Amino acid sequence: MKILGIIGTNSENSPTRLLMQFIKKQYDEKAEIELVEIKDVPMFNESKDLSDKEPFISIRKKIEAADGIIIGTSEHNRSIPSSLNSFLEWSSFSVHPFDGKPVMLVGTSITRQGSASAQLHLRQILDAPGVNAIVLPGNEFLLGDAKHAFDNDGNIEAQRTVDFLGTCFNNFLRFVKVADVLQTPDEVRFEPGDYKVTTKGHNGELPMVVSFSEDRIEDIEIDTTGETQGIADTVFERIPQAIIAGQTLNIDAVSGASVTSNGVVDGVAQAVKLAGVDPNILKKRPKPSADTVTTPLEYKTDVVVVGGGGAGLTAAVNVLQAGKQVMVVEKFPAVGGNTIRTGGPMNAADPKWQNTFAALPGEKETLEEILNMDEAEIDAEYLADFQELKKQIKAYIDSDGKYLFDSALWHRIQTYLGGKRTDLKGNEIHGQYDLVKVLTDHALESVKWLESIGVEFDPDEVSMPVGAKWRRGHKPLKNQGYAYISALQDFVNQNGGKILTDTPVKHILFENNKVTGIVGLNADNRKVIIHAKAVILASGGFGANTKMVQKYNTYWSKVDDNLATSNSPAITGDGIRLGQSVGADLVGMGFTQMMPVSDPETGELFTGLQVPPANFVMVNQQGKRFVDEYESRDVLTQAAIDNGSLFYLIADDEIKKTAYNTTQESIDEQVKAGTLYRADTLADLAKQLDIKPAVFEETIAKYNSYVDAGKDAEFGKEVFDLKVQKAPFYATPRKPAMHHTMGGLKIDTKTHVLDTDGVIIENLYAAGEVAGGIHAGNRLGGNSLSDIFTYGRIAGKTAVKETCEK
Amino acid sequence: MKLIGIVGTNADKSTNRTLLQYMQEHFADQAKIEICEVKDIPVFNKPSERVAPEQIRQLTDKITAADGVIISTPEYDHTIPAPLSNLLEWLAYTTQPLQNKPVMITGASYGVLGTSRAQTHLRQILNAPELKALVLPGKEYLLGHSLQAFNDKNVLVDTDKAQELDEYFANFVDFINKVKG
Ligand SMILES: Cc1cc2nc3c(=O)[nH]c(=O)nc-3n(C[C@H](O)[C@H](O)[C@H](O)COP(=O)(O)OP(=O)(O)OC[C@H]3O[C@@H](n4cnc5c(N)ncnc54)[C@H](O)[C@@H]3O)c2cc1C
Ligand SMILES: Cc1cc2nc3c(=O)[nH]c(=O)nc-3n(C[C@H](O)[C@H](O)[C@H](O)COP(=O)(O)O)c2cc1C
Repeated sequence: MKILGIIGTNSENSPTRLLMQFIKKQYDEKAEIELVEIKDVPMFNESKDLSDKEPFISIRKKIEAADGIIIGTSEHNRSIPSSLNSFLEWSSFSVHPFDGKPVMLVGTSITRQGSASAQLHLRQILDAPGVNAIVLPGNEFLLGDAKHAFDNDGNIEAQRTVDFLGTCFNNFLRFVKVADVLQTPDEVRFEPGDYKVTTKGHNGELPMVVSFSEDRIEDIEIDTTGETQGIADTVFERIPQAIIAGQTLNIDAVSGASVTSNGVVDGVAQAVKLAGVDPNILKKRPKPSADTVTTPLEYKTDVVVVGGGGAGLTAAVNVLQAGKQVMVVEKFPAVGGNTIRTGGPMNAADPKWQNTFAALPGEKETLEEILNMDEAEIDAEYLADFQELKKQIKAYIDSDGKYLFDSALWHRIQTYLGGKRTDLKGNEIHGQYDLVKVLTDHALESVKWLESIGVEFDPDEVSMPVGAKWRRGHKPLKNQGYAYISALQDFVNQNGGKILTDTPVKHILFENNKVTGIVGLNADNRKVIIHAKAVILASGGFGANTKMVQKYNTYWSKVDDNLATSNSPAITGDGIRLGQSVGADLVGMGFTQMMPVSDPETGELFTGLQVPPANFVMVNQQGKRFVDEYESRDVLTQAAIDNGSLFYLIADDEIKKTAYNTTQESIDEQVKAGTLYRADTLADLAKQLDIKPAVFEETIAKYNSYVDAGKDAEFGKEVFDLKVQKAPFYATPRKPAMHHTMGGLKIDTKTHVLDTDGVIIENLYAAGEVAGGIHAGNRLGGNSLSDIFTYGRIAGKTAVKETCEK
Repeated sequence: MKLIGIVGTNADKSTNRTLLQYMQEHFADQAKIEICEVKDIPVFNKPSERVAPEQIRQLTDKITAADGVIISTPEYDHTIPAPLSNLLEWLAYTTQPLQNKPVMITGASYGVLGTSRAQTHLRQILNAPELKALVLPGKEYLLGHSLQAFNDKNVLVDTDKAQELDEYFANFVDFINKVKG
């Protein structure tokens, strides 16, 4: 702990100095104590500010760096010496180094009372708002008759006095720790949303809308249509800007318009209260520094990319490869987004490679189903491709192929069929043909391109990502999603690209119907303005924004308020709103994908006992099964929603052994934490879950009989492995979690963002999950990665060609 | 009657100076008020020789010759400004001219409270044995919102406050006469 001792007098021969030196010597081992003199600091003068000059400035820095301060004062005329007084005035004038610092007082005097009155004055002074120190209460150390208190070595002679000083000093060290806690700012958590309040204008009340995210005031809009122009305009511009930049309500009024200024601050305070936060916390925050409010950081570049996930970084690399400048603006402290969370394999048909692998049982049957499909079910634009695919399949089956079949057409038709869905309102949706064609025709090129910038794929394994429906996954050798992000990020950094992290983009600059750049806000709350020839939106979907999912949802019968998500918390649909602010059209927004079997709190997959679907035994909150556990993700999800979302995966000791990514230790911990249930009998397990034991026992007995029969009379499960029979028994609580949002900005095959009339918005491009139209009602596992790397490349190249080379 | 008015700050612009100037004019028929500054007084550092510097000696002579002293103080950080305490340290440590001298305290500040804490401290300080001034008891004069209190001719425009000051000053004159006996 760092303690600074201030010798509060300028007199040469002062017992106060002896006392401070004694403290330093005596408590050297308990804390790092440094002493400073104030005697060379000039007399305070309001009209001649010297607080940015030496010697004051060095002392100020020492105060700021210290954990606690001890001030030693003498007593002059019942008060503190004018030299100390003057020093404290400097410390309260244009700088405030004592603000929030723990301070201990000690004092001497040559009379018997030993600075009692001076210390009382000093307490009051330190308490003044300009000084604002936190003074240790009680522990009043007064050294009276100070001339005779020290021996020749500078030690205090009276042992009782030394003991008392020691007590005071120890108490102070403890106090410093407490004061530290006091200094941690109050945490705020707003209820996100838009709140309507009013503020005072010259012509009466003005309506105003304040928008909050969980931790910030995001936007303040004042409807000034009823207001006369003039000075108030400055208020309506500057005050909201200052509030947002500083995230504070401690705002100076615009001079000459204090009533209107305070009106705006009061209005925002009302909204803060409505959002569930005490406005006084924000009033106590520091004022926004002049810097943050007034001078934005400004840049100029060729192409600016919003979002540093897979799509954004891919676009950036392509801009650099075309010899142009690029800046990537990323909301979070690190790039990666959802891409870094992926399992890794990306889909791309590469028949030459796939044909070297043997076919697996069942694959031929899947292909035969296509031959038997009714062509009337195929949408017109896909029909020609469908018929061509049938020829390919026929040839493969006729030649009695024993190898793994694939083609770009097969990938295309699977993407199309996999995405075809009908929502609750009866609207049918399927992937837009030209977008799906580009995706499936160029996915392999994307794999090769990734290889060219250093992503290594495993040539020995062709994998089938969960929900992919076919084995065409190219799996990176390195760790999952990190393999892509690290290669892309390195390329950008090593080739002159600039990545700004911690800078969410807030606005698109739009002049004369053209996009001209973006405005973001960095971690210091400073505006970042980037002027660019093109803007590429690559900010991902909106899976972490439940309100937005609820707003657009047309697919699920219900979306819970406390829906968990597998997504990064940054994925809140910002790019979609940015696009809309310049007129972009949206497509397929009502369709989202959930992971049905997820942790109810965190949305993670691998908590509890996550086992292969053949061993899934799902029971609802009444203890009954409710679905064929082998069903597809969206059927499981809807079934869970219909049963109140929360359900349990039941396991016995044998099933437990088939769980992924867990250990006995972790299981024991979760049981202890109450996030996983374990019991020696089924009845006891039921009781823990608040389920009637008899009902639960019957459910399990029936399930076990279906396993024996290889057939499920109730729900039609066909693939079984183990029965539930060996204690201990387990129940893992599960809930569907938001995983992927298929809808988004409407784009064309060149990644142009289209407006509601289908017209290209000039200089604006979008790629990745932020765009819609491809995966439609359901995305195949492994197809996102094909999408973001294919359209990310197109976006980078097109932006350069159209805006930098014309 | 001869009075010394001490401006309790070294600032270039001070409403406490304005207040004394107003009193100087306004009470010209009752007393001759000479205004003295604390600006150019050297920094007090408790020299081992108890010798007053030139400025202190001059001011001491003036105080000794006067019938009473008016100190008008701002409030800095809940107390009196250092330049004023600096002056009082010199007087206490060297010449001690305030012993048994009638003193009237006024104070002007920009805020509402009008120097009340600083005046309380000043009374305690003036009561210290080495100063031992006779501070007019019972009454206080606090001029809050001092920036708005005067017009551009330095006239105290707040009539309530002006009347209060008249009464306070009359009390002080009485007090001086009683002390003189
Ligand atoms: C747990 C998990 C596993 C998955 N597994 C697979 C898989 O195995 N295979 C597959 O194909 N797909 C998978 N997906 C889906 C896939 O990861 C995503 O669809 C894909 O990564 C989206 O890439 P993107 O570049 O569009 O967005 P992201 O990678 O999400 O990147 C968007 C970036 O934009 C940033 N951003 C957001 N708002 C702003 C703003 N206002 N200003 C600046 N930056 C902003 C974000 O912080 C983020 O870094 C998975 C998804 C998850 C969540
Ligand atoms: C260092 C400093 C500290 C101050 N502290 C206080 C205070 O504690 N209370 C108060 O009412 N005013 C405080 N003020 C503001 C004063 O009211 C104002 O500056 C002064 O009193 C006006 O009187 P003047 O015109 O004589 O300077 C402070 C001013 C300064 C420069």
